[in-house]
Amino acid sequence: MRLPGERDLIVMAGIAGFSMALVSMLSAASAPAARSDTRLAPRRNRSSQAQTVETARKLNRAAGMLAASVLADSSVEHYRGSFKNKAMYTPLLVSALTMATSLHGTADMRPFAHKARDATYLVAAATGLVGSGFHLYNVGKRVGGFSWQNLFYGAPLGAPMAILLSGLLGFCSERVREAGRTRPRIFGLPAGRAIAAVAGAGLLGTTGEAGLLHFRGAYHNPFMLLPVTLPPIGAALLLSAAGDRSGRTHCVARSWMRLLRAMGLAGVGFHAYGVSRNMGGWRNWSQNILSGPPIPAPPSFAGLALAGLAALGLMRAHPDA
Amino acid sequence: MMLQRVGAIAVSDDPLHVPRACDGRAPDVFRPGGWVQMRQYRENEPVDFAIVGTGAGGGTLACKLAEYGFSIVAFDAGPYFRPLEDFASDESEQTKLYWTDDRIVDGANPLQLGSNNSGKAVGGSTVHFAMVSLRFRPEWFKSRTMLGYGADWPLDWREMWDYYTEVEQALKISGPVTYPWGPPRPRYPYRAHPLNGAARALAKGCEALGIKWTETPLATLSAPRGLAHPCVYRGFCVTGCSTNAKQSALVTWIPRAIAAGAEIRDLAMVGRIEVEPSGLVSGVHYHRDGAWRFQRARNVVVAGYAIETPRLLLNSATPRFPDGLANSSGLVGKNLMAQSNQAVWGRLEHEVRSYKGPPSLAITEHWNYEDKGKDFFGGYSYMSQGPLPQLWANTLFSARGLWGDRLVEAMKDYNHVVGLKIVGEMLPQESNRVTLADEVDQYGLRIPRVTYSWCDNDKRLIDHSLKFMRRALEAVDATDTWIQDDDTCHLNGTARMGSDAHTSVVDVDCRSWDIPNLWICDGSVFPTVGGANPSLTIQAIACRTADRIRALARQGSMRRANILSMQRG
Repeated sequence: MRLPGERDLIVMAGIAGFSMALVSMLSAASAPAARSDTRLAPRRNRSSQAQTVETARKLNRAAGMLAASVLADSSVEHYRGSFKNKAMYTPLLVSALTMATSLHGTADMRPFAHKARDATYLVAAATGLVGSGFHLYNVGKRVGGFSWQNLFYGAPLGAPMAILLSGLLGFCSERVREAGRTRPRIFGLPAGRAIAAVAGAGLLGTTGEAGLLHFRGAYHNPFMLLPVTLPPIGAALLLSAAGDRSGRTHCVARSWMRLLRAMGLAGVGFHAYGVSRNMGGWRNWSQNILSGPPIPAPPSFAGLALAGLAALGLMRAHPDA
Repeated sequence: MMLQRVGAIAVSDDPLHVPRACDGRAPDVFRPGGWVQMRQYRENEPVDFAIVGTGAGGGTLACKLAEYGFSIVAFDAGPYFRPLEDFASDESEQTKLYWTDDRIVDGANPLQLGSNNSGKAVGGSTVHFAMVSLRFRPEWFKSRTMLGYGADWPLDWREMWDYYTEVEQALKISGPVTYPWGPPRPRYPYRAHPLNGAARALAKGCEALGIKWTETPLATLSAPRGLAHPCVYRGFCVTGCSTNAKQSALVTWIPRAIAAGAEIRDLAMVGRIEVEPSGLVSGVHYHRDGAWRFQRARNVVVAGYAIETPRLLLNSATPRFPDGLANSSGLVGKNLMAQSNQAVWGRLEHEVRSYKGPPSLAITEHWNYEDKGKDFFGGYSYMSQGPLPQLWANTLFSARGLWGDRLVEAMKDYNHVVGLKIVGEMLPQESNRVTLADEVDQYGLRIPRVTYSWCDNDKRLIDHSLKFMRRALEAVDATDTWIQDDDTCHLNGTARMGSDAHTSVVDVDCRSWDIPNLWICDGSVFPTVGGANPSLTIQAIACRTADRIRALARQGSMRRANILSMQRG
């Protein structure tokens, strides 16, 4: 048997990291979800400090989920691209770091921002912006320019946005966390609403990405319509919650976020099935994981849904946040 | 007794010598070793239609007619292959897909027969076609009236536009989101495939010369479909697809036909059509399992492509029809049209690896739709190329005379080869024809003599295309460009359709003018060929013919119409 090369090891580590992170995120995510099911009025008398830390941890979890998705997805896709440009290693390193940072934040109960976490999240956001530039350049330079052919098969324009979102959510998390005794604000905006807006916009962007690639697959399976129909509704609910000052609890939006979380995780299963429909099925995994639908991509929706849940929770605890 | 035969077939599973479609079952092309149930008909009870040939014309028609409730037996001289098991990544082995029986070629430009322009298998040459699925330019259906050359078709392009859509949907054609030429068409059901290096070279050349290009609409899947997998870009398309991504008649129309109650008889060579004293045909004589047999039929459809179709009609001559069946016009076998298939090749500094993926991923139909700047009638498209290594070595030998060390040296550049090849319109000429030679083949049937010469217009078109493609290659910095000036592809004509019994062999419904229950449904009926690969048009015509037959049957006028046209004749 041939020993795996350096690149294969990196990719395998990426996939392993993704799996571990997914499991830990999910086990952490299930507990607070059960608790928040009680439809109570805003618990204003509850310790606001504990509440903001809990929200911050939820946001760390959301950022971590997105980072895990980016780590696995960019590992596979950039491996497929043979790491032709050395810069293609960047998202692997940054997303791994962001994921580790998020795990740290999820475990951290202290009500203070952490400088290293802050820095990592800012690097992640910057990586997303620079990555988008790289991907735009890649598509634009191909013959035909910004044609369907190149949007389908060139570097995916929307993909680097996921690490940008991860960084933004993580940055928001730190702002929420340090606002223990004051109203959480981000750049002077109410934090809950700002995060809801970011998550809503993220959902729309991710829908665009899924829509483009599912169009490439000609929607040959009707389930491929789900990620282009459910998330925009979720985005609308989040954005309307962000703009709503009536102090309602937004239970429809919260339920919808749980639906999107489930959809994002179910997407892994659908994509695994999609891989099996290529020649040789899972027996030919080393080829079909690369040529079939990207298995790590759908959890991006789950990550954004977690962020949406956190934002809605924050708004419930701090009606003016 | 039946059980014993089933056992016997399972033991000796040699599709080239032992029929597979017998005993109430046919191979399941989607499951290794699998079978599907197949209805079988008695030879002495007439079926509604005996169809000779199971390719783009016969396979499609068998499916549609069976789905409309007619009883169908479709014959093919070739084997019933199981693509998942029988197809190797080996050019020599895969020559088993070609029709390589004896033929005589002559004329000033004798055709090279026996490879890309022939097929001997259930599914016909669609089993190894390059999957290029183009619509005709609408004006071509009236090329005499509107463009001043060739002959008018009796068909209306708007009607054909709908049948093209039906076929594109049935084959899940992967094509561009919008097609840059011609009137609007519905979106292709599947998206285009990614371009390979050869296709990108075509695209860059077109952009440099300021003409449009697009992804070629291809009959190979870009997403899963049922049990068929999406294309894996193996590149052996023209030697038979071993993954079932290629939407050949073998994996599309034929399984549908069988499910709808049609019977397919493989390794069944039809040698003669029987004519009753009344002047109607009554069935076909065919050779299978070492013996001549006879299948009775109320109608016979000939779908053997442009050489075997006229050969069968001519070989079926009777005292009443001494010049062959359906030949009162004298046009059976005449107006044979190949398509010119010349190429310009060159070398790029960077690796191209043109053999990856389907061979013709990008196309320009510019010179099909642009009439200015031409010194010839007709049009041509040109496509990117991906010759497999053996074909490439053969091309270097036959077109450039390379051999020995020089050939080895040239083959070392294989990864850098880039080429553009036309599918060009050749004009119908009565002197280009299929006749019968005196020699006989292994079945004792007289073999065809195929006479072919280019006319001046053909040469001008070729000349124009070669000059243009050379510019296109030089625009992408190709070096060492050279011309392959003698190649043809596709065979059409020889039983043209028309609106006048004196100047055509069949009417608009593919029904012969002379014998009302004899039909011809394949590329033979083309009055002109255009500069586009014919398979989509053949299938669209077959779909239309099926609809017309159903309409005639519903009117109860099949028989009455027979008598009417008999009287007219």
